[in-house]
Amino acid sequence: MKTIGRSVMLMAGVSLLACASAQAGTVRVTIAEYSKGTGPYFEAAAKAFEAKNPGTTIKLEVVPWDNLQQKLTTDISAGTNADMSIIGTRWLLDYVSQGLVTPLDSYITPDFKARFIPTFLSPSVMGGKTYGLPIAASARALYYNKDVFAKAGITEPPKTWAEFEADAAKIKAATPDVAPFGLQGKEIETDVYFYYGMWSYGGEIVKDGKSGLDSQAAIDSAKLYKSFIDKGYTEPGVTSYNREDVQNLFKQGKVATVITAPFLSSQIKTDAPKLNYGVAPIPAGPSGDQGTYGVTDSIVLFDNSKVKDEAFKFLDFLFTTENRTEFDKVEGFLPVNAKEASDPLFADNADLKVFASLLPKARFAPVIPGWEEIAQITSNAVQKIYLGQGDIEGTLKATAAQANDILSKK
Amino acid sequence: MGRRATPYFLILPSFLMAAFIILWPLYQIGQISLHDVNRFGMLREFSGLANFQALFADPDFLAALWRTLIWTLGVVLGTLIVSVPIALILNDDFYGRSIARVIIMLPWAVSLAMMAIVWRWALNGESGMLNSGLRGLGLIHTNIEWLAQGSTAFPMQILIGILVSIPFTTTIFLGGLSSVPDELYDAAAVEGAGRWQQFRHITLPLLRPFINIALVLNVIYVFNSFPIIWVTTQGGPANSTDILVTYLYKLGFRIGKLGEASAVSMITFGLLLVFTIIYVRLAMREEKDA
Repeated sequence: MKTIGRSVMLMAGVSLLACASAQAGTVRVTIAEYSKGTGPYFEAAAKAFEAKNPGTTIKLEVVPWDNLQQKLTTDISAGTNADMSIIGTRWLLDYVSQGLVTPLDSYITPDFKARFIPTFLSPSVMGGKTYGLPIAASARALYYNKDVFAKAGITEPPKTWAEFEADAAKIKAATPDVAPFGLQGKEIETDVYFYYGMWSYGGEIVKDGKSGLDSQAAIDSAKLYKSFIDKGYTEPGVTSYNREDVQNLFKQGKVATVITAPFLSSQIKTDAPKLNYGVAPIPAGPSGDQGTYGVTDSIVLFDNSKVKDEAFKFLDFLFTTENRTEFDKVEGFLPVNAKEASDPLFADNADLKVFASLLPKARFAPVIPGWEEIAQITSNAVQKIYLGQGDIEGTLKATAAQANDILSKK
Repeated sequence: MGRRATPYFLILPSFLMAAFIILWPLYQIGQISLHDVNRFGMLREFSGLANFQALFADPDFLAALWRTLIWTLGVVLGTLIVSVPIALILNDDFYGRSIARVIIMLPWAVSLAMMAIVWRWALNGESGMLNSGLRGLGLIHTNIEWLAQGSTAFPMQILIGILVSIPFTTTIFLGGLSSVPDELYDAAAVEGAGRWQQFRHITLPLLRPFINIALVLNVIYVFNSFPIIWVTTQGGPANSTDILVTYLYKLGFRIGKLGEASAVSMITFGLLLVFTIIYVRLAMREEKDA
């Protein structure tokens, strides 16, 4: 409590100061820090914008992702929030239902709208109104280590989980030090790692207002993952590995596959340039279903902003093709701008092409109240299953009942 | 205004300021805990004890409460048991004592979060220092995934908690020991008391008030200590290493149930207040008796 209390006070203090120095023509923007390039990119963009629009000042607050939700909560409850902020699109419903963010429709011209790839704009549309713009977009695919596959005599990445299982046995036999499947079991997106399997078996997180965790697809997927653990196809102790840890195992060549986002390619370029890897779609289930997770972060305009016109002007500037290309280059995200997608940076990049090809099938976090809580209890259930505590069906059914409770509450 | 009132009058402004700084947030948290509140901390209608009821119906909360008691007892008692001999050794005059003292104090200067991060690396199953150390000594043959389950993670966290609490506690004890006059030991030695008897009948009673201080301060500090558990496991897997403060953080800032999170906060406040009052009264009575 001490630490939290202190940082809350500190943040409140900082925002009060920022507030006092604000004047007409100053647009305050809260930026989530994706990498060490994020701050410099936005600083440069703000400078360029200010040069073109004298009289408007852009004030940036760059916040680490982990603290973003906490900072926004504190700022909003104190009434000292910035004019715009980056938020996870999965949080947007909470912001919209509390009337905190303003619809952008009166600003959006057909021309402006046409800049976007529709898949990425649609998650921010609620009740026919557009509440945010996709500032960052990403999807998930299977990274595989070509050298390990070659040693096991495998030439092609597996197309289905059945093929994957056969390949895993070969890899385990040929290279006992390498775990065939890098499975994440800790912290953020532990639930999502489980959904990859569940989606490919035809499951849904929420269907007709009910949790899909007690569906046959969920049970099958849980059994599949658990069998991988039991057969030693995963790294040992999966519940102590978070997303970064599993990615690091892949970079070190200790796991043969990992399912993750495009930014791993750019990390590999600097951290493990000699790694011979490929990117393939996530394996399909028995009926050919395939799942990838689409993620967007939105930039939103707060309803209590007094400089909405200037703020949107800055948005307009940020979402020009040039600026978007530069940003995605820095961060390794997927293009959200249709013209940007044809830039050689993306068009000629084999890795990103795979990700882009998966987008039509991409699923997003469902737009439901209480989503974070459902994600949390799902992660807990998945961890219990991975640890072998309690039987699979019982755990999933109990969690589904809990999730249904949350879904029916609001 | 009489002469007698003047000191109180002079203290008044800082007293009011301190009261405001301490009591105002407490009042706010109390308010939030008794209201239906949205995830941005805006109060909706008054809901009485609904937030508290929801907590006591939640098995994860009860488990975290129980675990907090184990955590606090484990870390505080462990620290006291280890710190007394360390302080005794450091109080003795030996060659290189000042270096030894510096080494013991150094961890205090490092931020708790950084310590926890280093330990997270050390406990890593694949490349961690602890596993390679144990393997080098021939104690284990396969890597142990320390943080993969609560049954190994939680004891390790308590151990880390003890390690990081030693400098502070040892410092208090060293202060205490330096106030014990050497003549007492000389006199006891003349009377034929051995080392152990000297410790039991001279050192320990005279150290008593310092042990009391260390106990109260450590209980309050450890009970609410966040970084070690958060950095190593975030209370996971499946809430199996959560203590109240990590559980509170998840409730408030992950899930957005600020009402329930404030209720947890009030409960920890209440528990620590009761503990402190009981303890201070006991300690004071003891002093009077003595």
